[in-house]
Amino acid sequence: MKKIEAIIKPFKLDDVKESLNEIGIHGMTITEVKGYGRQKGHKEIYRGAEYVVDFVPKIKLEIIVDSARAEEVVNTICKAANTGKIGDGKIFMMPVEQVIRVRTGETGNEAL
Amino acid sequence: MDNLYSHQLIEKRDTLIKQFLKQREPEFLVALTRILDEYFQAVFAASDTARTMAARGDPFTLIALGGFGRQEQCIHSDVDLLILFERTIPENVEELIKEIVYPLWDAHLETAYAVRTTNQCLSMAWERFDVLTTFLDARFICGPPHVFLKLMERFKRQLHQHHLAQTLTRLVENGAKRHADFGDSTYLLEPNLKSGHGGLRDYHTLLWYGRIKADIKSRKELEHHGILSHDEFETLEESLNFIWQIRNMLHYLTGRKCDQLHFDHQVEMAKLLGYRDKGGLAGVELFLGDLHTRTDFIKQINQIVTEDILYTRSPRSGRQRVKPTKTPGIVIRRRRVYFESVEAIPSSPELLMKIFVESGRLKIPISMESRRIVADFAHLVDRDFKESPGNARDFERILASSLWEFNVLFVMLATGLLERYIPEMSAIANKIQYNQYHLYPVDKHSIRCVQIINGFKRRKKDPGTDLYSAVFNEVRHRKILLLAGLFHDIGKGDPASEHSTKGAEITADILKRLGYKPAEVREACFLVQNHLFLVKTATRRDISDEETAVFCASRIQTIGRLRKLYLLSVADSMATGPKAWNDWTENLLRDLFLKTLNVLKKGELASRKATRIIEGKKAEVLALKPREWDKGGLLKELDSMTNRYLLNMEPAVIVEHLGLFKQLEDRSFAWKITREADSTVRTIAICGRDRPGFYSKIAGVFFLNNLNILGAQAFSWGGDIVLDIFKVTPPLDRIFETEKWAKAEQELYRALDDDTFLSRLESKIPKSLAPPKGQILKPNIVKIDNAASSFFTIIEVFAYDFPGLLFAITNTLYRQDLDVRMAMASTKVDQVVDVFYVCTLEGDKIDAPERVEQIKQAVLNALPTINEEIPDEENRSNHKTV
Repeated sequence: MKKIEAIIKPFKLDDVKESLNEIGIHGMTITEVKGYGRQKGHKEIYRGAEYVVDFVPKIKLEIIVDSARAEEVVNTICKAANTGKIGDGKIFMMPVEQVIRVRTGETGNEAL
Repeated sequence: MDNLYSHQLIEKRDTLIKQFLKQREPEFLVALTRILDEYFQAVFAASDTARTMAARGDPFTLIALGGFGRQEQCIHSDVDLLILFERTIPENVEELIKEIVYPLWDAHLETAYAVRTTNQCLSMAWERFDVLTTFLDARFICGPPHVFLKLMERFKRQLHQHHLAQTLTRLVENGAKRHADFGDSTYLLEPNLKSGHGGLRDYHTLLWYGRIKADIKSRKELEHHGILSHDEFETLEESLNFIWQIRNMLHYLTGRKCDQLHFDHQVEMAKLLGYRDKGGLAGVELFLGDLHTRTDFIKQINQIVTEDILYTRSPRSGRQRVKPTKTPGIVIRRRRVYFESVEAIPSSPELLMKIFVESGRLKIPISMESRRIVADFAHLVDRDFKESPGNARDFERILASSLWEFNVLFVMLATGLLERYIPEMSAIANKIQYNQYHLYPVDKHSIRCVQIINGFKRRKKDPGTDLYSAVFNEVRHRKILLLAGLFHDIGKGDPASEHSTKGAEITADILKRLGYKPAEVREACFLVQNHLFLVKTATRRDISDEETAVFCASRIQTIGRLRKLYLLSVADSMATGPKAWNDWTENLLRDLFLKTLNVLKKGELASRKATRIIEGKKAEVLALKPREWDKGGLLKELDSMTNRYLLNMEPAVIVEHLGLFKQLEDRSFAWKITREADSTVRTIAICGRDRPGFYSKIAGVFFLNNLNILGAQAFSWGGDIVLDIFKVTPPLDRIFETEKWAKAEQELYRALDDDTFLSRLESKIPKSLAPPKGQILKPNIVKIDNAASSFFTIIEVFAYDFPGLLFAITNTLYRQDLDVRMAMASTKVDQVVDVFYVCTLEGDKIDAPERVEQIKQAVLNALPTINEEIPDEENRSNHKTV
């Protein structure tokens, strides 16, 4: 199993969710996060006072899937989250040792 | 170890709980306390350890603290016990604990005990406020009474001699902190019955105050000592019993000490309490409505007393001194606002409004009696009352004085007058929205929104950066903003229609009835209709794209309206709850606000006129029916085009560009050369995929082919497509012109693929230049402006024209890792003025001053120095003398 973590632009969330639903991925964890990479924050001025946005608001998606599907999920996110501009985000993929469903105690793919 | 006494305790407790569930044992709290008392008395009497200690001169008493002390023990409340020794704690105290406390633990009763001497107790009380308050509730259980009495006597003496002011201050501060931590139980859909505002702790605070000031022993004495009136006390009793009932039920259902009424338990709780669905309202909604009424009362009482503490530091005196107010018929008695006489109300019904105006203005609460009178006379609110301009002005004053700490609008709602005056409010009264976002019923949410807006007025923690108060202070017609705040969700009463649209209709009806001018009605309706617009746009559109700000600006049109809409959006989100408002959302919304504001300030892209022109052009393009485009596709394409482009282009030219765009397919660019008959100018339209260096490479290829650039414009077309338009002199060799262009086209492809292809051109830029003869010498100037646009740094270059100038500049910008997004080149009389809208490859503006300077120098260095070619005598002599 793989964990796929994607940092995307907030307004792309609906597109990504929809595309993932289309390929049968329905479960995911979504977090509102802030951070910066190459796209730094910026400042705005109102009445002489500066308002600095030093972290850029982003959405973090976390999805655990069967390893066989990982590639497909990554491609789907990539396609849906792409605007061609800077700050479209990043996707991380990492191995998952075990998944356990709390209610039933099922493990592995059955617990997904 | 099986313990006889704990066994008896559990048995008695279980029987009591069963009785409670069946018959709602009215004295349950006292009964449960008594059972615990009996246990301690029995254990104490049977304890050998206790006897030995007393015999050795270490007498001790058992003292009940906290809720146990107040005789208000709920099913799973902690048992708070103090084992008090007079002077010293004997070494074998552990034995005692084993006998007294362990059996309770074994029986799974949460027991907290402390073993202290009198002196320890006192020094801790002045150190820790939570310890101090437990002593206020201390109650003797068993043991030699003098040990307890001595502690109490010393405690009270020290409190009054040394710690009174400080204790009262901490009482108020603690309350404020708790309210901030646990929220407001009169609003929250999952209220905390104990710690929230309006919860039991608010009543405890009241009681503690009574104990500190008047040494009262029981609740009943709150009335005797004038802290509460008779009516207030009766309502308090009724409210407390209601809440205790629920709290016990909740403890029973969850099997633990749980004081937060979660959604999971609400339906079951309502059923257990006998609530049934009635008149379209679910039983659970009726139940929560009743609970909110109770907690609201306790909150009001708590606020009234807190205010007493803050302003007078003493309870109301028994004397009935009457002070008049500005309004005849409204008076102040014992720091409460009253009607002077009930008889005056039928002939002057406006007093019903005035009492709230006075209360809000003076920040003095309305007495419980007068609140009741308002409710009793609410039937006087007839058509004349509702349409009276005087009442409308008074209502504006009430709205403007409604604050978090002192919410007169809320009192107006609680008396029922608000619903009588604005009957449309009934549709959202106590309407609960079962979803994750909303923590409050709709009517409370709306009122909260109003008080948050008013709160912006005074937020001055950091005046330099407090955007909300800065914006609020610039809002004119605040009453419209406040009215929109109160009515923004009024459409929610009708689940069948979209609430913003419905809300705008209802708001129009209300405001017309209240006598507002058409322009004011329109403004309020716009705000209600669009109250979700900014939040939706900020979270669902790309706010780093200028078009998003232009889109908002086109919809909102004026700066004054944008300010109001922004504050309404913020207040609405804040009033909804933490899921709808956090600094993540705050960041997005603020960014969009400031960017939209900038677009509106400049006006050119989103003014009414601009919008009209753009719509006109779109219609013309549609009418021209460009080939290869169906209507749907064309509309979509037109909508994605930037306002800047549409404003600057003629419809026929747009149609031409649409053709180019079709040709582009997956190539990096497509161009079209137009030559007007016997003109010496060629127009080249280039449609391409934007990427860093695109613009400089076009300029370079023209330079390479000795095509002199006479004018240039570059636009973002929408998405990542750019449109560049150049006017150039044709190739010298007119016979093979077509071949020449074909060669240039190939060279542009190569340049785009190969970054070094145009490097050799750099050496062909002249090192120095002389202006045409007879002109005054002007230096090259580079201006960098970061203020005009939220999205781009604007670079203006003033220089004398020469072939390759545009390449020299744009190539430098490219080598400085800048992306040219828009450009305009034009010739002033003597110099060329080239304007470039640039950003970094990451899409940001260039903020850092040292970077701005670096870029400026780089551009200046790329330009030829200015010399005089054949200077005339006069000029030369001038220069020599300088």
